[in-house]
Amino acid sequence: MVGIGYRKDFAEEFLQSNILDPSFIEVAPENWIGIGGFWKKQFLKVLEKYPLFTHGLSLSIGSPDELDFDFLRKVKVFLNETNSKIYSEHLSYAKCDNAHLYDLLPIPFTYDAVKHVSKRIKTVQDLLERKIAIEIVSYYTPIAPELKEIEFINMILEEADCELLLDVNNVYVNSFNHQYDAKAFIDQLPMGRVSYIHMAGHEKVSDTLIIDTHGEAIIDPVYDLFEYTMHQLKRDVPVLLERDFNIPELQELQIEINRLSAIKQSALKIKDYATV
Amino acid sequence: MQLSEPTFKHQSNLASYCRTGKLSTIPGIIRENVHHYRRLVYNVVDDMLQNAYPITHELLTAKEWEGAVNNFFTNHPCQSPQVWYMPKEFYQFLADTKHPLLKKYPFLEELLWFEWVEVELFMMEDKIVQADKSGNILSGRLVLNPEHHLLSFNYPVHNKNAKLIKISDKGKYYVIAHRNTEGEVIFTDSSPALIRMIEYLSESPLSIKELFNEFQQEYNLLLSDEDQKSIIRFFENAYKQQLIIGFGKQNDLI
Repeated sequence: MVGIGYRKDFAEEFLQSNILDPSFIEVAPENWIGIGGFWKKQFLKVLEKYPLFTHGLSLSIGSPDELDFDFLRKVKVFLNETNSKIYSEHLSYAKCDNAHLYDLLPIPFTYDAVKHVSKRIKTVQDLLERKIAIEIVSYYTPIAPELKEIEFINMILEEADCELLLDVNNVYVNSFNHQYDAKAFIDQLPMGRVSYIHMAGHEKVSDTLIIDTHGEAIIDPVYDLFEYTMHQLKRDVPVLLERDFNIPELQELQIEINRLSAIKQSALKIKDYATV
Repeated sequence: MQLSEPTFKHQSNLASYCRTGKLSTIPGIIRENVHHYRRLVYNVVDDMLQNAYPITHELLTAKEWEGAVNNFFTNHPCQSPQVWYMPKEFYQFLADTKHPLLKKYPFLEELLWFEWVEVELFMMEDKIVQADKSGNILSGRLVLNPEHHLLSFNYPVHNKNAKLIKISDKGKYYVIAHRNTEGEVIFTDSSPALIRMIEYLSESPLSIKELFNEFQQEYNLLLSDEDQKSIIRFFENAYKQQLIIGFGKQNDLI
């Protein structure tokens, strides 16, 4: 299965043609909770055709602030009403000092943050009555780190007993920005916890920095890392193509989906791995 | 909270930097990269505000707009987890703090409200009411579209180029905004009498005759034939525009 991040930018053409034919769509619940009118109608039509995966933006799992339980309850209703297959969130924070920031800030890689975030993930899983997948985010600077990134992530996955959304592009971006070996990083991840993969493009803004924009096509080295990941994974998981800005012709998105699908199938053919 | 003071403080410092641009000491950061967080966060907020308030953005100078956005994001803790709803807080912030721009542009607060109402009506959750699609506009009990807002302005922010609005335009403007079944938001010029009748209908479906009676009783006056014809024309048009979405199921005919 290879899905697409559903965008209002291409909603009408997507519905009216078969140019783009993903296996599923993904949305951020906060962009659709409590929405009616034109967009609700469009959304319901899309849901008739495609299974839904969800990827949250505002839960702020790494925030020092209290969890927003009112919001979480709305998310739960939304997941149930839309029969969402997966709910994932970012290993980051987007709210602090009682103020939403609407972007993903890096959590300090500290021992107490591991405890704090793990407990919150468990609370969220208990309330939602489902496992959630946590995404490794791109980051452009560490914040007062006591641990290596990989240690921080693995400790949280273990302690929270949650699933991993492996954003292969983010691993590539982070390996470039923080000068480590992306494949070695993936080798250290608990592959058994990977339930979902994200793929996207990025923008290299200087010789030492890549920004995770989702505004470009996926580049070859990230496809290569994806292929490597599939070989390490040895099983099929849903894969999402994210494209949030500079939306190209739908044909181009379908070409990317096809390429992801082909890489996945090829990697899984080597042995009799289970397929989804 | 299991976070120690240092971890919390570092997170708070980074968040505060994103909102204010003032960077406190954070161990381990890459100074040449951290400004991207401020840029990315600011761009999200600025984009959402520009999308919600395109007329205001066009009206203000670039410096005024940037100043207002910075002032808002620095001093106001945004509460909505849904970013599309955040621009309402911008309007409320400028009004609550009596922002100097409201003095320079006396109609700005109304313009912001007008623009926000359009966003909110376009996006708001569907409100379902039962109504028969067929009926007689003259005799049936009219069912009001619940997806509406009643507005009154001192300046014609709804129908005049904001850059051309003058102090001499000051007056009383009554407007009904509603969302039709296609999801379009429609603004209709109105009058105090029609607004009052819409308020009656928001309580329960009424026939035009009942509307006349209730209005005449409340204000102790008699509507002239010409007034009545004009009101009937308004409701015929309101039915076409789906401000009136149908007819009451019971006691349909008077």
